[in-house]
Amino acid sequence: MPPKKPLASKEQHLFRELLSLYEARQLKKGLKTADQILKKAPDSGETMCMKGLILTHMGRREEGIDLVKKGIRLDLTSHICWHVFGLIQKAEKNYEEALKSYTQALRFDKENISLLQDAATLQTHLRNYEALQDTRELILKLRPNHRRHWILLALAYHLNGNPSDARKVLESYQKMLKARDIPDYDVEHSNVLLYQVRVIEDCGDFASALALLDGSAKSRGIVDRTAIMEYRARLLTKQGDTAEAEQAWRLLIEKNSDCLHYFRELFRIKNLPLDAVSGENREQAVALLLELSSQYPRSSVPARLLLDVSEGPEFEERVRVYVLDRLRRGIPSLFVDLKSLYANPSKPHVIENVTTQFRTEVESSLRSSSSPEGGESPTTLVWTLYFLAQHYSFLRRYEEAIETIDFAIEDTPTLPELYACKARILKRAGDLVGAVREIEEARCLDGQDRFLNTKSAKYHLRAGLREEAISLLGLFTKKDAASPSADLEDMQSTLYLLEDASCLYRLSQLGPSLKRYLVVQSIYDDMSSDQYDFHSYSTVRQRFTLEAYTSLLKWEDGLRAQPPFVDTALGIARILIAVHDDPALATSSTPSKRSDADKKAEKKAKKAALKVLDEVKKGTQNSSSNEDKGLEPPTAKDDDPTGVKALTASDGLEQAWKYIKPLVSEPLSLNRTDVLACAYDLSIRRRKYVLAAKSLLSAHQNDPENPETHLRVVDFKLKVSSLSPPPSETIQSLVNQTLLKVLPDEIALETLNSQYLQRHSDDPRAILAVADASTRIGTPLQEVEDTVFGILNPNVKNDVKSSLAACEFLNRIKSPRKDEFRSECDKHFPLSTMFKTAEELAGYKSQNGSAGGNEDEKEVVNA
Amino acid sequence: MASKTRPAERITTSALTTNNLGTVRKLNSVLFPIKYSEKFYKDILSPDVEEFCRLTYLNDIPVGTICCRVEEVDGVSKLYLATMGVLAPYRSRSIGSKSLQHVLDAARAHTKPRISSIYLHVQVSNLAARRFYERHGFQECGTAKDYYKKIEPRDAWVLEVKLHPTGESGESEARPPA
Repeated sequence: MPPKKPLASKEQHLFRELLSLYEARQLKKGLKTADQILKKAPDSGETMCMKGLILTHMGRREEGIDLVKKGIRLDLTSHICWHVFGLIQKAEKNYEEALKSYTQALRFDKENISLLQDAATLQTHLRNYEALQDTRELILKLRPNHRRHWILLALAYHLNGNPSDARKVLESYQKMLKARDIPDYDVEHSNVLLYQVRVIEDCGDFASALALLDGSAKSRGIVDRTAIMEYRARLLTKQGDTAEAEQAWRLLIEKNSDCLHYFRELFRIKNLPLDAVSGENREQAVALLLELSSQYPRSSVPARLLLDVSEGPEFEERVRVYVLDRLRRGIPSLFVDLKSLYANPSKPHVIENVTTQFRTEVESSLRSSSSPEGGESPTTLVWTLYFLAQHYSFLRRYEEAIETIDFAIEDTPTLPELYACKARILKRAGDLVGAVREIEEARCLDGQDRFLNTKSAKYHLRAGLREEAISLLGLFTKKDAASPSADLEDMQSTLYLLEDASCLYRLSQLGPSLKRYLVVQSIYDDMSSDQYDFHSYSTVRQRFTLEAYTSLLKWEDGLRAQPPFVDTALGIARILIAVHDDPALATSSTPSKRSDADKKAEKKAKKAALKVLDEVKKGTQNSSSNEDKGLEPPTAKDDDPTGVKALTASDGLEQAWKYIKPLVSEPLSLNRTDVLACAYDLSIRRRKYVLAAKSLLSAHQNDPENPETHLRVVDFKLKVSSLSPPPSETIQSLVNQTLLKVLPDEIALETLNSQYLQRHSDDPRAILAVADASTRIGTPLQEVEDTVFGILNPNVKNDVKSSLAACEFLNRIKSPRKDEFRSECDKHFPLSTMFKTAEELAGYKSQNGSAGGNEDEKEVVNA
Repeated sequence: MASKTRPAERITTSALTTNNLGTVRKLNSVLFPIKYSEKFYKDILSPDVEEFCRLTYLNDIPVGTICCRVEEVDGVSKLYLATMGVLAPYRSRSIGSKSLQHVLDAARAHTKPRISSIYLHVQVSNLAARRFYERHGFQECGTAKDYYKKIEPRDAWVLEVKLHPTGESGESEARPPA
């Protein structure tokens, strides 16, 4: 590499001008100046990088980035070159590489404040708290007069798990402050003080934290009164000062008697944990709750908590009062409110008795007196029936549920909740077509209710009616969007995308289904990168709202443990594994004919794309214009709209692993058996035996009796006993160790399998896992079929979902008895439509179609 | 405790919109042996009859409906009460009276055009309905022969109430606020 030549003084002057032109986004002039320098000094890497940066801003992205890369190669020791590169990587959301570039830049310009600030943001974003601490120390050393650098250093220490250093920094900061620097009632100062209290609390020094809190409250340094009370109660609790803590929580309840958290804390401090009351505790807890409920008669919290801790005749009396009051007031959410009581084996029965008895009373009251005075209101009867129907449905007593809700609908056919309830009962019982019919009844009663609209669309998707679902959703999406589903993508509706993905999966359209899942993944990527702006926003511009900011960081840390994200990763893996096992699926599952709606949407999208192209053309025609297009890359054109490429990619399993890996490794390390089983499935197919063993072991530790675990244990034993080529010794020994842990005795797989079946003879999922394991062991098909048919035995706690999975399984192993099984299921679940043949279903659907237009039969008269 | 006192019943009415029209259709299909035309449903949404076409609620549940149209004969405007009904379990609770009273009050206060009277048809077998309207000031003013084409009996009473009984001026009702 030739040694770097410094620019001549005229060019140096021009370069400084170039920098300030860029700062002012005078792109056109900047470009001219850069060219002027390059004419004299064609090897100036810094100039080349600046020119590249300007070109990127002007929308000439490829050209610009090429130039930047060329510039760096010419001048590897320039902080400007690395800074420019870092800016471009940051805009591409490639934060890790961007941080590397910034670190390079800082090597050559150690005390550049703006580089340090950007690096600190990137370090926070990447959770590189160790390095963040160093960066913040350096910044404070360079700029000790800025108040915020002190606080940001404390934050860095705190995030890095070092509260005592954070405390020292904040204490020095407070000493440095002069009283006249702080205006009265300064929110910013108040927030910093509260944060300081929190930091001292995290040091475990509750007495000092309390002293600072009380002092600052008295001096009006902290202005948030509720925060003072909450901090105080929390600190007193942690300190173990029972009497004072009780007083503090009671004060908070006085302030807001609907806050469940305050009640829970009060009971905790009194050593009466509400989740685990027993024996004499119960009496005390009940007494305290009775006291609180007479003190705050308008609050539901103590009354509802009483139902948790009461038992026997007292429970019956209290639940009667609670339920009757709310039925008379017409509280639609009553059942949801009480649902958690159903975990107790004796309470559902009591609730049922109380409610059915009340139903009889209301009915006779309505029959006997026709005057509104004194008697019950007819709306009370409707809400009672609504509650009972939900009760039966929850207990899977679908016939009774439907009978009850039909009674309510007959009585009051204008209440949407009733139809929505019936739709849900039918959905649970497996009648997806009927569910659609009922939810549509509800939706038609109130066209502006978005909840009903969304529910109806969801039920349509469950029934495989995609086009109808889309046109329903279109009633509420933006009218100028390319299509309703494009708008829902923009709005990040994971509900819709996940439902549509599994709908497409059930329709065997694996490619489009995969695409849907990938969209959800990208939504989570967006959510994760959205926090980038908050690193500077929360700490600088928003008055040091550090409590909110640190909880945001924590939330983002757990983002990918959220169920929709996990479901998406599992959905992707499921599809790619299926295609790996049977590559024919990839070609057979791409949609052969497209629906009209798809075609329409495509046309609209094409039009929009053409428009964009036109604008781009116009843009390049006068590319010398000054318009700043920003550094962020434009959204790439989708070159795989049907997902065929993703589906047929040769590295499908590796792609799938990319999504599962973060779930099973640090820091998330999810303990979900389904996730671990999926990690196993991928690893064993990728011949990563160590990973497979690790996942299996975790699944086994997590839930050894889970059917998913059982199946994998059998599978692992079979796969690893005949490995070719044989693995290295270390791998073989690790595999053997794993086998010893999951299969302690040298036991034949057949025996293991039948023992497992005996232990779980009433669990349909276990029976299915045993059948699946049997086929892998090599059991004759007939025996496997007999096992599957066992699901229909009366002692098995069978459900629609498991039976459906059994149908799929028989299909997969090409059982000649699959149709017989399906029709047995159809008899077993009389309400369900899921086991009907296509012809039977078509008949049922057309029946429903004519029932939908129920007014047709009536004569038409002009009123 | 709280359960001893039963909450009082609340009766309210609201105007019709395209969004709650489904509820009106549902009520009509349950209440009347007649299927109304699409024109009927279009007309009741007109802003001119906003106060004369209502849904009635008991404790926020829609249980009744009342629909009228304005008719003009020889320069005199009348209100024709086309449909009015309350779901069976909710009758005898003054819900019908309240919705009818709402229409009567609105019609009396109406100025453009000034409404002289409200009239309606009642099947001659329906004595209860006749009594109900008579309690609200309606009087029989004739019988329409063969009014109903497909239900028996086919004759209907015509009932009417004059809204401005003091004569032509109607000042007492339509006086602007001082």
